Amino acid sequence: MTGGGRVVGLYVHPIKGLSPQPLTSVALRAGGGVPHDREFALARPDGRYEPGRRVGLPKGEFYTLVDEHRLAGLETHLDVAADVLTVRVAGHEVLSAHLERDRDEVLRFFARVLDLPEGVLPVPARDGGRRFTDVSRRGDEPMNWISLLNLASVRDLAGRAGVDAIDPRRFRANVLLDGLPAWSELDLADREFTLGGVRLRGTSRTVRCAATEVDPGSGRRDLPVLRLLKQHLGHEMMGVYARVLSDGVLEVGDGFSGGGAVDGEAVGDEAVGGGLVGSGSGGGGSVG
Amino acid sequence: MRPLAVASSGAVPVAVGPLADLRLVVADRTDLTPAVRRFALRRPDGGPLPGYEPGAHVTVTTPAGHQRSYSLVEPGGEAPDEYVVCVLREPAGRGGSASMHDEALVGAELTVGEPRNRFPLHPAKRYLFVAGGIGITPIRSMVARLRAEGHADARVVYLTRTAAETPFLDEFGDDTVHHSAERGRLDLWPHLAVPDDETRVYCCGPLPLIRAVQAMTAHWRPSRVHVEEFAAPADGFAAPFTAVWAPTGRRVEVPADRSLLTALRRSGVTVDSSCEAGTCGTCRLALLDGEAEHRDFALTDDERRASLISCVSRAASEEITVGPPG
Repeated sequence: MTGGGRVVGLYVHPIKGLSPQPLTSVALRAGGGVPHDREFALARPDGRYEPGRRVGLPKGEFYTLVDEHRLAGLETHLDVAADVLTVRVAGHEVLSAHLERDRDEVLRFFARVLDLPEGVLPVPARDGGRRFTDVSRRGDEPMNWISLLNLASVRDLAGRAGVDAIDPRRFRANVLLDGLPAWSELDLADREFTLGGVRLRGTSRTVRCAATEVDPGSGRRDLPVLRLLKQHLGHEMMGVYARVLSDGVLEVGDGFSGGGAVDGEAVGDEAVGGGLVGSGSGGGGSVG
Repeated sequence: MRPLAVASSGAVPVAVGPLADLRLVVADRTDLTPAVRRFALRRPDGGPLPGYEPGAHVTVTTPAGHQRSYSLVEPGGEAPDEYVVCVLREPAGRGGSASMHDEALVGAELTVGEPRNRFPLHPAKRYLFVAGGIGITPIRSMVARLRAEGHADARVVYLTRTAAETPFLDEFGDDTVHHSAERGRLDLWPHLAVPDDETRVYCCGPLPLIRAVQAMTAHWRPSRVHVEEFAAPADGFAAPFTAVWAPTGRRVEVPADRSLLTALRRSGVTVDSSCEAGTCGTCRLALLDGEAEHRDFALTDDERRASLISCVSRAASEEITVGPPG
């Protein structure tokens, strides 16, 4: 599966459920994730999260797009160096606050957006070194997996479903790939490949959740992505997780090569609809 | 399903509900603008009609047989003697507005459903009303009620193309009335920049206006922002209903924009889930009473008789009783 595959986008989501932030390059380390990805989350005050917890929790313990689609109507940016969160609404800045020093202001802002009762605040979750990725509950090693999305698969789904386009930001991936056959990323589970100079190993196909139904721009639930996947592909997977095997800098434009035993054949519909579901290491926790 | 009020003409088809139909006559028709005509509907004997509150609508069967929902423009009350609706003639429409304009003559008898209200006026210290074009109709009923009651803080932003195309223009002399043909589009941001929990925002108008108000209130409490949605999203949420949780008898209100699953969880009921999109079946519940509107991709027809998938399915009746999966 060598050839035209390459990295066309890199994203970090410093705060779970909030806006993706584009990167031009990212320094990866073996066994590590995208720096700062999902290192902050807003936990439910009546839930199981406690500061300092070292074990992953299911996403239902946090405020995410699955339940709180309006969060996608906020354009957020965390300056990870300064620890300053900026929120814009319809292009206008409505919050600029330091995550620690202005913590109350930040929490009150989100309590309002989440319509929490008077006096109730979300719980800020940030525990050095931990990530609130959806796969974190599978263990500390999966917690650091990076997520890959194949734009050809996204386009193929849109074509089959007869919709104009599906915004890839719905899938909240770290790495966007293009130039590969549609759905070939699902075959990367259990296979080694390289992106630029970084070696990775596919670990798990990504079973999607209803957060993908939310339009990233408007924060409206407007497209039944899971239902379309099930109807047109017979599964609910899009993208793949991978473990980083070597240190290196990943850049937009880096080429894809490898893929182990697969030699460049496109994965046909039959294979996708039949053989892939439930085979290999596909499955696992459903994620947004 | 919300009375898809006023796409542009003031109406689109809606399902008929269980409420009784009335036979009313057109008592008066007046042109408010070249394209908007006002119809007063009364009982043939002139007797009192079922009451309604501001924001209510009625479903009218036009002389040509279309069913259209129109907001009632008067402030309402317990036993009004007429229902007043305003209809924008829509040349590109499917004939409902043309039938009303051309065929609903004074004296004509029309079938009219009892008023329903899916856009109710909630108590608040302050109000901001944003109306676009014919979307003024429910807003006018609300503002008329509030001002009649002496409510001091009800601001109105009324957007139309020209003064000549502005129904009820003289009633909004002290408000922000903006004509786009003269001054371009109004920037709503100054009105919405600062969220205020004590202010309720009501918006009715064309879809782009509703979307703009929704986008500009993303930092507000969602419960303070009320919009008259013209069409239920194809796979989105629809009417609110009540769910009774059988083990405790607890009654849980499920608002239009929340799933049954989310509403149950918010009230302390534990329900397992996984995909939350109606495909995996994890959040199946027993359906013990009432009728469900099944929207899942998990259950067979047989299974649907006694269960439902709580992340997507809703009630077809006003109330359903559910319990843990059997």
